[in-house]
Amino acid sequence: MTDVAVKTRLRGGRKVHPQPGGLRWVAPGFVLSVGLIYYCIFYSGFLSFFSWRGGASKMTFLGLDNYTKAFASSVFWSSIAHTLIFYVVVFAVQVVGGVFFAAAMHSKILFATLYKVIIFVPVVIAPAIMAPAHIQVWSSDGTVNALLSDLGMGWLAQGWIGQSSTSLLVVTMAQCWGAVGFGFLLYFASMGQIDYEILEAARIDGAGNLRILWSIILPNVKATTISLAILNFITALKLFDNPWLLTQGGPAHSSEFLGTMIYSEVSGQSRNLGYASALSMILLVIAIAVSVVMNTRGTERPTRKRRRGRTIADKETQDV
Amino acid sequence: MKSRLFAAVAASALVISLAACSSATSAQAPAVSPATSGEVSWWGWTPDTPVAQKYIAAFNKEFPNIKVTYKNYENVDYRNAITPALDSGTGPDIYDISPAGGSPETWGSYALDPSSFAQTTLGSDWQNKFGSGYVKELTNSDGKVTALPLGGMTAGFLWYNANIFTAAGATLPTDYTSWVTACQKIKAIGKTCLAMGAGGQDTFPTELVHSIANSVDPAWFLNAATGKAKWNDPQGIEVLNIIKKMSDDGIIPKNVLDNGQYPLANEEFMKGDAAMVQMGYWYAQYSGAESAKTAMTSAGVTNPQPFVQMPLMFPDVAGKGNGSAVFGEADYGLAINKASKNVGAAETFVGWMTMSKNGQQNVANAIDLIPALNGVEPDWNSVKLVDQAQQQPAIAKLLSSSSATTQTRQWQTTDTTLKAIVVAVQQVLDPTIKKSVTDIAKQMQDSSEASTVGK
Repeated sequence: MTDVAVKTRLRGGRKVHPQPGGLRWVAPGFVLSVGLIYYCIFYSGFLSFFSWRGGASKMTFLGLDNYTKAFASSVFWSSIAHTLIFYVVVFAVQVVGGVFFAAAMHSKILFATLYKVIIFVPVVIAPAIMAPAHIQVWSSDGTVNALLSDLGMGWLAQGWIGQSSTSLLVVTMAQCWGAVGFGFLLYFASMGQIDYEILEAARIDGAGNLRILWSIILPNVKATTISLAILNFITALKLFDNPWLLTQGGPAHSSEFLGTMIYSEVSGQSRNLGYASALSMILLVIAIAVSVVMNTRGTERPTRKRRRGRTIADKETQDV
Repeated sequence: MKSRLFAAVAASALVISLAACSSATSAQAPAVSPATSGEVSWWGWTPDTPVAQKYIAAFNKEFPNIKVTYKNYENVDYRNAITPALDSGTGPDIYDISPAGGSPETWGSYALDPSSFAQTTLGSDWQNKFGSGYVKELTNSDGKVTALPLGGMTAGFLWYNANIFTAAGATLPTDYTSWVTACQKIKAIGKTCLAMGAGGQDTFPTELVHSIANSVDPAWFLNAATGKAKWNDPQGIEVLNIIKKMSDDGIIPKNVLDNGQYPLANEEFMKGDAAMVQMGYWYAQYSGAESAKTAMTSAGVTNPQPFVQMPLMFPDVAGKGNGSAVFGEADYGLAINKASKNVGAAETFVGWMTMSKNGQQNVANAIDLIPALNGVEPDWNSVKLVDQAQQQPAIAKLLSSSSATTQTRQWQTTDTTLKAIVVAVQQVLDPTIKKSVTDIAKQMQDSSEASTVGK
C-alpha cells in the first residue's frame, strides 16, 4: 500500500485526491512548451488566414486564400520536389558514407583518431562559416572548375551555383559534407554495441566482409538508420541555412526550399506574414505526418532477449 | 568665428521654430516643447555607423547637450527588429522609414506626423522645399506624413574605372555597338567589362531592366509597374532580348548568376578588376580618396591605390534616341516615434538633420545621398576626391541630373513585381533554361502585382 493510499484512508472516510506533487516540477517546462511553442504554432495557424504585414498594419481576413495560393504556386511544388531530392541524396550519402567510415574506424587502421576528427569536424562547423568556402569551390572561377581544367575535363567546367540545372546539386553537396560526419558518429556508436561473438560466428561460417556488413551489421544498426531517416527528413523540410547562404534559393527558384520561401516572405519589404504562416503550417503538417509514419513503420517489434556477450566496443577495448 | 555665429543663429532659429510648432494640434505634432538637452536613440539600416557618427558629431557642435545614440542594422534585421520594438513601446525615439515596399504603411502608424513642425520651420510651402516628390513618397495612404526626408537616391547609370579605360584605349560607350567595342578592348587587357551580380534574391537586376526599358520606351517601366502596361508587352520582350544579347555579346559576364551585386560586382569593381559597374548615387562616396581606400580594403585589396571612378550615363542600348533617364526617389526619412519619452530632443535632432542647412550640408558632403533640402550642394572644398579636376564636375553634373529626375526607383514597384523581374532576368541569363523570351515575359507578367502607390 502506498503512502498516498494510507493518507487517503486516514481522512475520516472522506475521499481525498492525492496531491499532484509532480506538477510543480512539470510546470516550468509545461508553461514554456505550451505557453511559448504551442502558442506560437496556434498563432501562426491563426495568422495564416489573414493578410498582415505585422505590427500595427491592418489585418485582412482571407479565409483559405493563403493556402490556395500556396497550392497553386509552382514555386511551392518545386520546393517540395527539391526537398524530396535533397532528402534522398543526403540520406543515401550519409548512410553509405557513415557506415563506410564507421566500419573502417572499427578496424585496425593507423591514425584512427585523426581520421575521426577529420570526418567529424564538418558537423561542428556552422554553415555560415563554411558558406564562403563552398561558394568559392563551386563558383565559375572556383576550385571545381580549376580541377576539371587541370584534369583535362575543361569542357565540364560551368557556373555550378548560377545555373538552374546545378544549383540544387551545390546545396546538396554542401549538406552532404557535414552529414557524413554525423552519420559516422551515430553508426560508429551503434556498431560498437553489436555482439562481437555474432561477427566471429559469421566469420567461422565463412562470411566475407561485405556479407557481414550486409547481413549482420546493417540489420543491427537499423534503429540508427531509421533515426537518421527521420532526422534527415525534418532537416530537409526546415532547411534554410545552406540554400540561403549559397544561392538564396536561386537562380529563378531552382534551389528554393520551404524554409527559404518562408524567410523570403517574412524578410521582404512586403512582409507577407499571413502567407508565410500558411507555408509554415503546411510544413508543420508534413513534418508531423512523415514523422508519425516513419516512427510507426520503423518501430521494431519486441525482440527476444539478446544473449549477453562481448560487443565490438568491448573487443576493441580488450585489444587495446 | 563667422561660421560659429551662423551656427548659433541657425540653431536659435531652429529651436524657436520647434518651440512654435509645439503649440500645433496634437494630431500632427507632439505637444512637447523641443529640447536643447536630452538623450535620443536612433535606429536605421542606413547610414553606416561611421557616417552617422559624423552627423551626430556635427549636430553636437550646435546641440552639445543632446546625446544621440545610433544603432545600425542590416536591412532584413532592421525590418525584423523595428516592428516588435515599436509594437511593445520600447522602440527608438527616431527610426528610418523608406518609401519602398510600403514601409510608410507598415511603420508610419507608430510615427508622429511632422507636417506642422515642418510647416513652422520651412513655411507653408514646406513640401516644395524638399526634393521633388520626397514628402509624398513618405506619406501613407491615410495622407499622414510619416517621416521627414534626409536625402534622395538615384540609379540607372554606370560607374567606370577611368584607369582601365585609359589602359585599354577604349572610349566611353554611348550606345550598344560602342559598348560591345569597348568591352572587346577591355577584355583584351584581361579585365572584366561590366561587373554584375544577378544571383539570389537581390533586386539589383531590376535597375538594369529599368535602365534598358528607359532606352526602349521611357514611360513603359512605370506604366507596367502600376498596371497601365504589361510586362509582356513588346517593350518588355525587347528589354529581355537586349539583356540576352548583352550576355551573348560579352557585355554581361558569364559569372553573373554566381552571386548578387553585393558582394560580387562591388568587389570586382573595387579590386580594379572590372571597368564598369551599375550602381546608384551612393557609389559617389567612393570617389573620395579615403572612402575609396576603405572600400578597396573591404574588397580584399591589401595595399589600396584608389583609382579614378567616374559616373557614366547608361548607354542608349535600344538605339532609338531615347538615351536612358536616371530614376530616383527619397532614400529614407527620419520618423519620430510617438511613444518616445524624448520627443523634444528627437524633434531637435530630426529638424536639424532634415531641415537645417548645416545638417543637410553634412549629408551633401558625404556624397552618398542627394540632400533632401533643395539648394544644398556639396562643399567641394571640404570633399577630397581622388582626382578633383576630373571627378568634381562629373559628380556635380550627376547630382544636377539626379535632382531633376521624373521617374521613381522602387516606390511604385511592388515587392512581388521586383521579385518577378529578378526571376525573369535570371531565366534569361541562365544558359540551362531553354524557355523563350516571350514565355519568360509572360511569366513575369503573371507573377507581378501592380502597384497602387502614387495613383
